[in-house]
Amino acid sequence: MKKAVAQIAALVPIALLVFALYSLYAAPAEPPRDWRLHMTQEQHDLMVAPIDHAFRVAAYSVTWAIQLGYLAWLGLKWSGLKRVAGRASNQN
Amino acid sequence: MKKILFGVYAAICIALLVWAFELAVNAPAEMMQGDAYRIIFYHVPSATVAFTFFAISMAGSIGYLVLREKNAAKALAWDAWAVSGAEVGIVFCTVVLVTGPLWGYRAWGIWWAWDARLTTTLLLWLIYVSYLLGIFGGIGVPIVYIANRIPGQHPGPVFGGDRASGMAPEILRPFLWNMAAWLFWGILVLILRHRFELKQQAIAAAEAEQSLNA
Repeated sequence: MKKAVAQIAALVPIALLVFALYSLYAAPAEPPRDWRLHMTQEQHDLMVAPIDHAFRVAAYSVTWAIQLGYLAWLGLKWSGLKRVAGRASNQN
Repeated sequence: MKKILFGVYAAICIALLVWAFELAVNAPAEMMQGDAYRIIFYHVPSATVAFTFFAISMAGSIGYLVLREKNAAKALAWDAWAVSGAEVGIVFCTVVLVTGPLWGYRAWGIWWAWDARLTTTLLLWLIYVSYLLGIFGGIGVPIVYIANRIPGQHPGPVFGGDRASGMAPEILRPFLWNMAAWLFWGILVLILRHRFELKQQAIAAAEAEQSLNA
């Protein structure tokens, strides 16, 4: 049970990072630089909205990937420390 | 009892983060930046928490240097705060350095600019990563703060800036909730890291004693 929890804790940050990269990769293309020649401001805003959304989603996901990744790493170090402490007490 | 209190605090943190997230995604869209401006709700609080923890690291380092000759046990406790503050500060500073370019690309059309604010923040991060030169790293915090006042690619300070600075009340509310949520979360992670450091110190001390007795 503990092992499964640890595996999930390690996988969540990786999944979030992959999701962040995917959101950026899957974001629609930018409108052309001379968009004013081809479309109205409203059309431009509609075209840009999903790109802004993808970047926001990527930023939020990567934030949680970093935070949870650090917690998972700390958890791993902690369990290692517990093993060392257990060995030391057994030697005594 | 301590465990229960810690559990309650952790539950409050998670509830606060969920509430702050809800406010962040439902805040009214900004006219110029659309949805991308909502990165502010993660970017700025992360910077604030990072700088606060770097200050804790600096205080811990000074405490260690002052006490190391007089009281070794107390000095080690201060050292644990120095290490914990620096490490958790780096985590939050990494968030700042990753979310910043994502926001910057949407706002300015470029991922990075070598302006004063961005460069000093990167330098601060590098200094702490190479640590953990606590005291010297702490000097970087006011430098980054001052760098925000130097005109460059990065926008000027939102609070305490010129007459044009400030935030609309409907954006300010979710912003302050996110600030509180990230600060609470940061303290939770800091406490965890500090407990880990104390445990590590205790094991190292026990091992040293064991070797001396052998």
